[in-house]
Amino acid sequence: MDFNFPAEDDPRRQDVRRWFEANPSPTYKQIAQRGFSAANWPAPWGIGADAEMMLIIEEEFARAGIRQPSAFNPIAVNQCGQSLLTWGTEAQRQELLPPALACEHKWCMLFSEPSGGSDVGGLRTQARRVGDHYIVNGQKIWNSSADEADIGVLIARTDNSVPKHQGLSQFIIDMKSPGITVRGIEDMTGEEHEYCEVFFEDVRVPADRLLGKEGDGWRITMEQLQTERQSMTKPGAVWGAGPTARELVNGLIQTGKIRQPLVRDEAARLYIEGELLRLLSLRNLSNKINGKPAGIEGNIGKMMASPHGQRMTDLAKRTQGVAGMVKDKDVLPLPAKEYGRFTDWDYAYWFSPATTLGVGTQEILKNTVAERVLGLPRDSDPSARMPFNQTTAPRAAA
Amino acid sequence: MDFTLSDDHKALRDSAHVFLDKEVDLGPLLKPGATVADVDYAGLWKKIVDMGWPGMVVPEVYGGLGLDYVDLIMVVGEMGRTLAPAPLFGALAGVWSVLAAGSEAQKTQLLGGVVGGNLSLALAIADADGGYEAPGRGVSAEAAPGGYRLTGSKSFVVDAASADKIIVAAVLDGERRYFVVDRTASGLEVELVAWRDITREVATVRLDKVPAELLSGSAEDAWPFVRDRLYLVLAAESAAGAHAALDQAVEYAKQRVAFGRPIGAFQAIKHQLAEIAGQGECANVAVQYAAWALSEGDPRASLAVAMAQSYNSEAYRDATHRNIQVFGAIGFTWEMKNHLFYKRARCNAELLGAPASQREQVIQILEREAA
Ligand SMILES: Cc1cc2nc3c(=O)[nH]c(=O)nc-3n(C[C@H](O)[C@H](O)[C@H](O)COP(=O)(O)OP(=O)(O)OC[C@H]3O[C@@H](n4cnc5c(N)ncnc54)[C@H](O)[C@@H]3O)c2cc1C
Repeated sequence: MDFNFPAEDDPRRQDVRRWFEANPSPTYKQIAQRGFSAANWPAPWGIGADAEMMLIIEEEFARAGIRQPSAFNPIAVNQCGQSLLTWGTEAQRQELLPPALACEHKWCMLFSEPSGGSDVGGLRTQARRVGDHYIVNGQKIWNSSADEADIGVLIARTDNSVPKHQGLSQFIIDMKSPGITVRGIEDMTGEEHEYCEVFFEDVRVPADRLLGKEGDGWRITMEQLQTERQSMTKPGAVWGAGPTARELVNGLIQTGKIRQPLVRDEAARLYIEGELLRLLSLRNLSNKINGKPAGIEGNIGKMMASPHGQRMTDLAKRTQGVAGMVKDKDVLPLPAKEYGRFTDWDYAYWFSPATTLGVGTQEILKNTVAERVLGLPRDSDPSARMPFNQTTAPRAAA
Repeated sequence: MDFTLSDDHKALRDSAHVFLDKEVDLGPLLKPGATVADVDYAGLWKKIVDMGWPGMVVPEVYGGLGLDYVDLIMVVGEMGRTLAPAPLFGALAGVWSVLAAGSEAQKTQLLGGVVGGNLSLALAIADADGGYEAPGRGVSAEAAPGGYRLTGSKSFVVDAASADKIIVAAVLDGERRYFVVDRTASGLEVELVAWRDITREVATVRLDKVPAELLSGSAEDAWPFVRDRLYLVLAAESAAGAHAALDQAVEYAKQRVAFGRPIGAFQAIKHQLAEIAGQGECANVAVQYAAWALSEGDPRASLAVAMAQSYNSEAYRDATHRNIQVFGAIGFTWEMKNHLFYKRARCNAELLGAPASQREQVIQILEREAA
């Protein structure tokens, strides 16, 4: 057991740092070619980095002030791209992965539908095989970055006559294909860049963009969601992207608000939770090395991390009193660093209700932990065993 | 960086697991009015001494095993998981006090006794209000021919009744110093209190001019040294106890049927147990990190143990409370084990100061770091 983090003079760190010094403003393509985009993937895509190396790389990106590809293009680099390593064909990898890791192609995840995001197995979007193409019809919703995406990871129904989870398949599609319409949705923060709805009208998808076989869609999708959840154990607000409890406590110390007794105890509690989540995420990271699919433990991490982030932004906001109800970037001081969009507590706070919805609601996560970690009985789903076309779902869609 | 237990750690834990499963029987405690006298308290302790556990943290130069704190939590965790009624807490508190405040000669003599299996220790330091602040008020020391004499009383002394010698914190010339007294010395009285956690013996120790030997090393920072290690002990017990309470609740939820389904099929039960599982994971990393930090002499060790003691106390309370709820009314009876865990959880949380007091320590450390 060794909780020492890689030291400043660790030769591997020196190596990474020298590269960033030699390439002070690298393009994402250069970063990908160096193997730093998805460093935990095996060569030639990554460098087979272990948990320690991943941490070094993350810290050196931060030190160089560069946003990590996994933050810029998360669906490709973090969640879905690595499915191609196990489920994809060599041709798919050669075509799709280089531009993805170079962040030339932004990816989005096309899972949820108006009929349900939790019960994604009950989705209705159809992909019908016609010759060497599939024809896709239907609608997706809540798809982050779909308006900027070049590539979409789509799960659609290829077989109506089998139970709902069995008839699903995954496709890696071009978002610029004719018949796709993307509309931005304004979320409650008032910003219009979080998620979108996506309409499919007779969209032709080449058959060689099917990932795995027909019917593999559910398994692949579940793997991707586990991977995504694992990456969300990080101890920052907003799925690990926003400010952390360390920064909260520092801000409270700087402003003197830490001296208020109730703030003090709550801040300590949050600090402790944040530190434990940090340790938990590092432990989970070591299970995720070399591009292996994530285990079930990521569910526990996200289940703990999302409410932690909500409580943290809530305390940050409450210390501001009535002034915090004005749209304001300055709830508490934050150190200058790369937070993506979440560069202030205000945005992180108003965004926080979404964190127990996206990538599995809190209820779905608790179900998953109870059923798959603790082995408690599964929820009953009367529709799970009957052929999909005999459930009420397709009729409702008609 | 390696967040996993080594094979050696696992082997140590597994052997403690097997041993305690075989030796610990809480059955006799499940009758109202029972005390540790009703289980084979002395017999279990003798076996534990034979295993060398009291000398686990005694450095090799004094004849001990010199194991590190990660090793220690392997064993202490198993003690906590099984609620083993045995005075290990007092023994460890005594060992660390001697290590912190004893002279070389005293360490050799006292720790040698512990390792040899013929000396049980306890530490008397809390005052009647449960406070640990130096110099303390309860007991004062005065010089006497050939040594010192102690007068006053100390409260919430764990394992005093079974100890051969008690380390007593007393005020000498306005300062807190540590003394050794014989439990059977004249003028010394150990009165058990009706401690709610009946797997542990807790007493008030009264002293009336009791002859005492001064631990003549430096007493400075002795209590923070001992306290940090005792936090680790309690936090390790709590993490393991929380997992035991969770496991029992999960097992029961799979078997007990209501409305035609196992109760574990209902989300109200599933979700609460999932929440406990999450806290349990955090409690595990908390105690492992703290143990590692102490072993390494890491500058953040005091922070790590305070975090662990605070977090794990509440995680244990939540787990044992939920455990009783899942069992229903039978979980509220004396004849079930559930309450033993609940009481251990609550008593562990208060013994060295409430979780909020450790959170205050955490913030003070962070304020110092930021300054
Ligand atoms: C910010 C954000 C970004 C997102 N990005 C994407 C994306 O990129 N791609 C994508 O495909 N989707 C995305 N989503 C959608 C997200 O996956 C869904 O919102 C989520 O799965 C829930 O689905 P739903 O909104 O349809 O709610 P529903 O599934 O209708 O759930 C409504 C409520 O019912 C509860 N519920 C449902 N089933 C159960 C059950 N079995 N037991 C107990 N309670 C239950 C839920 O917990 C919830 O509280 C995003 C969502 C958000 C908020």
